[in-house]
Amino acid sequence: MEAQRRAEVLHSIIRKMGAGGKGIDTAEWVDFVEAQNDGFRTGPEIGAKVPDFTLPDQFGNQRSLHDLTGPNGLLLVFSRSADW
Amino acid sequence: MKAHGINAASITYDSREILSNFADTYKIEFPMLSDAGSKVIRAFGIFNTNIPEDHKMMYGMAWPGDYLLTPDGIVRDKLFLRSYEHRPSASEVVLKHFDGAGANSVEIKSGVVNATVSLSTDRCFPGQELGLAVDLRVDPGWHIYGRPLPSNYQAVDLTFESPLIDYQLLELPAPQPLLLPALGETLPVYGGELKAHGKLAIKWSPPMPAPFLLALGKVIEPGVYEIAGTLRFQACSDDVCEPPQEIKFALPLTIEAGVPPAPKKAA
Repeated sequence: MEAQRRAEVLHSIIRKMGAGGKGIDTAEWVDFVEAQNDGFRTGPEIGAKVPDFTLPDQFGNQRSLHDLTGPNGLLLVFSRSADW
Repeated sequence: MKAHGINAASITYDSREILSNFADTYKIEFPMLSDAGSKVIRAFGIFNTNIPEDHKMMYGMAWPGDYLLTPDGIVRDKLFLRSYEHRPSASEVVLKHFDGAGANSVEIKSGVVNATVSLSTDRCFPGQELGLAVDLRVDPGWHIYGRPLPSNYQAVDLTFESPLIDYQLLELPAPQPLLLPALGETLPVYGGELKAHGKLAIKWSPPMPAPFLLALGKVIEPGVYEIAGTLRFQACSDDVCEPPQEIKFALPLTIEAGVPPAPKKAA
């Protein structure tokens, strides 16, 4: 999908959702999803080491990979957002 | 997952406040990590570059997916489903890598074959992909068939039939060629124990009854459903074949309502 069309549909759908979702047709919705998924990348491959990181959790505690993992590993889930 | 010694954590670009609100509302017990600014998302190479910088709501988000990591941070498996309608279930990846029946299983016994069919969970949201595991034990002296096979024999097959299913896949291991002197043929067979893994995806359900979403799929009401399936096989010994078997079975599955955004707390 062309970059300008992507930006257009990403803005348009959010604006319309903010206004209660009127005027969204299915074709535009499908484009909205496509616009997000274009060139979908999936990150480190099987067998690769992931980057080390330390991030705050919902309580404000700094968590690193090392302290998050269980004895047999960690299921690390990247979601889009908890907000919408 | 705790029973298998695996912890879980999520990462999003949301602020700690947003994550705290969500975790409180839905009683989330695992750590939800705040990657505000998307530094870690970028380091992983999954920063969604399609979103324009001036997009207030979505700029900064990741392409969503799951990694199963070893304790040393090596990727053991990953599940990224490109289709927006489907998300992996945490149970799916655990079932694939850890032995034992899934949380939700049924035993089937028919003649010389005993089978355990499992789904990775007994509850899910519409659109989720579940893990599937099959463990078949054939009595000594008997075998069942794999593919490719002449049409007068029944190869082992497990198929779920339910209007709730979007797609399913079962990966059978390679059968062994066996010369059957009585038939004068060499055929692909399984004997002893056969273990296979696969997946099953529940159809997506519109999260709200908006016309533009209803055009893409039917609403699936939350509730307890029976997912019906059929196991087919034919068992033969060195001298004799049983007739092909078609065993019906069912597994319960509770489909839960989708999760709306957490209500914002008053400032």
